[in-house]
Amino acid sequence: MRDGASPLARAAGAAPALALFLAVALAWEFGVRLFDVPAFLLPPPTAILAEMAGSSELLLRNLGATMLAAVLGFLIGTGFAVLLAIVFLYSRAAERALFPWAITIKTIPVIAIAPLLTIWLGYGLAPKVAIAAIICFFPTLVNAVKGLRTVDAQALEFMQVLGASRAQTFRHARLYAALPYVFAAAKISSSMAVIGAIVAEFTGANTGIGTLIVTAGYQMDATMLFAAIITSSLATIALFYLVTLAEKACLFWPEARIDV
Amino acid sequence: MNAGSARPLDPALGKAAAPPVIEIDGVSVRFDSAQGPVDALSDINLGIAAGSFTSIIGRSGCGKSTLLRAITGLIRPTSGSVQVQGQSSADYQRTRRFGFVFQGDSLFPWKTAAGNVEMPMEVVQGMPRAARRKRAEELLRLVRLDGFEDHYPAQLSGGMRQRVSIARALSYEPEILMMDEPFGALDEFTRREMHDEVIRIWRSRPLTVLFVTHSLSEALYLSDRIVVMAPRPGRVKAVIEVETPRPLDPSARTSAAYLRQMTELEALLDA
Repeated sequence: MRDGASPLARAAGAAPALALFLAVALAWEFGVRLFDVPAFLLPPPTAILAEMAGSSELLLRNLGATMLAAVLGFLIGTGFAVLLAIVFLYSRAAERALFPWAITIKTIPVIAIAPLLTIWLGYGLAPKVAIAAIICFFPTLVNAVKGLRTVDAQALEFMQVLGASRAQTFRHARLYAALPYVFAAAKISSSMAVIGAIVAEFTGANTGIGTLIVTAGYQMDATMLFAAIITSSLATIALFYLVTLAEKACLFWPEARIDV
Repeated sequence: MNAGSARPLDPALGKAAAPPVIEIDGVSVRFDSAQGPVDALSDINLGIAAGSFTSIIGRSGCGKSTLLRAITGLIRPTSGSVQVQGQSSADYQRTRRFGFVFQGDSLFPWKTAAGNVEMPMEVVQGMPRAARRKRAEELLRLVRLDGFEDHYPAQLSGGMRQRVSIARALSYEPEILMMDEPFGALDEFTRREMHDEVIRIWRSRPLTVLFVTHSLSEALYLSDRIVVMAPRPGRVKAVIEVETPRPLDPSARTSAAYLRQMTELEALLDA
């Protein structure tokens, strides 16, 4: 089992990945220097690290704006998806009426509605949160709808024999049945939310990693581009890790986790 | 052969001749399927004596499980009536509850053994937490699972999980316990162990048991009466009184009376 491994064993397991990563970084560093590749095409890793250190205040300020939008959008999109899944559970009519809309929203490319949302909601936080929420919404909805219905048929019959109310059946059974599915979706959509926020920043925003990327692109500043990309990647990994920690805390029973 | 509902002294009601706790009167259940209507149960008439142990056997698809569900009100009969202690099963269900042990793993994997046993006490009686826990521990001791209170179902064997299911079904003190092929998924040795457990528990309290199985030996070993059912349409073919009392002795499985009744049952099921 993954969780049972000692820290030492886990470090040993990560060794091949680390070794390859170091090898690539070294090859990159010395390749760029050896062949005299200009920095505006491909800067060496040390230059990127120097840029990250030098512009750390700028990077962190913009990262803060992006991550705030991503996390808010993730929470709103996930929360709304779970609520709608619960509505679907108790109302077939609502499911039949609303599910086509949910699918339609999924088929719209976010990059296409980003400018529209900027027109509607302005250059601030709101359009970024909206895009991040839209991106998170669909995978969580589908999984939550499925999870809420995976309760064993006999377990449901037993609740019926007990004369349990819908609320009691939900609290004792459906809630827990849905959790593994919701977390499987949340792990995917947490990183999607960051991408969504950055895409929204491309089409017009005052601050954020997306704005930095657009500006650096105009200035052909590859070093700054790499610095921005790496900074947002690290933050995305951190967010994913946070969601995984929340999953571990919530899925406390054995064999709870599913891999979708 | 069937027990008449108005004759409490009918010998078919069992040796105790107790008044019937369940009276099934002309119950039919018809399902609509893609191939047209299916008669899952056709004109069932049965009386179940209070405190008796009755097995229902028959091939798959003869309506054994449907009968249990029609009695508990999980399925509404198309026609006929079920009276439980003189009430309709819906009214009975409102005040008292049936105990129910299922074949599969109907335990909640996110609740510990104690948590699973506590759940009905909270749902049915709204019992406070400390009292629930104390009673769950007692019940788990009854099914010989002391020390496993805080284990999750995934950490228990199949037999242990069914013990938890039995404790859970008993947690709200039902007068009637329905068991739907509870040991179908267990190996032969665990199953025999469970038989003796069930008899011990049944003897220790005023419990009427209805036990669905497709195992002849299981039915003979456990019950006072065996209801033999036949499929298409699901109907009662015969009601057999078991001659050998429950001896809690494995050698009973080789006694002459046991073997003779076994042969009788075989013939009934093959006919």
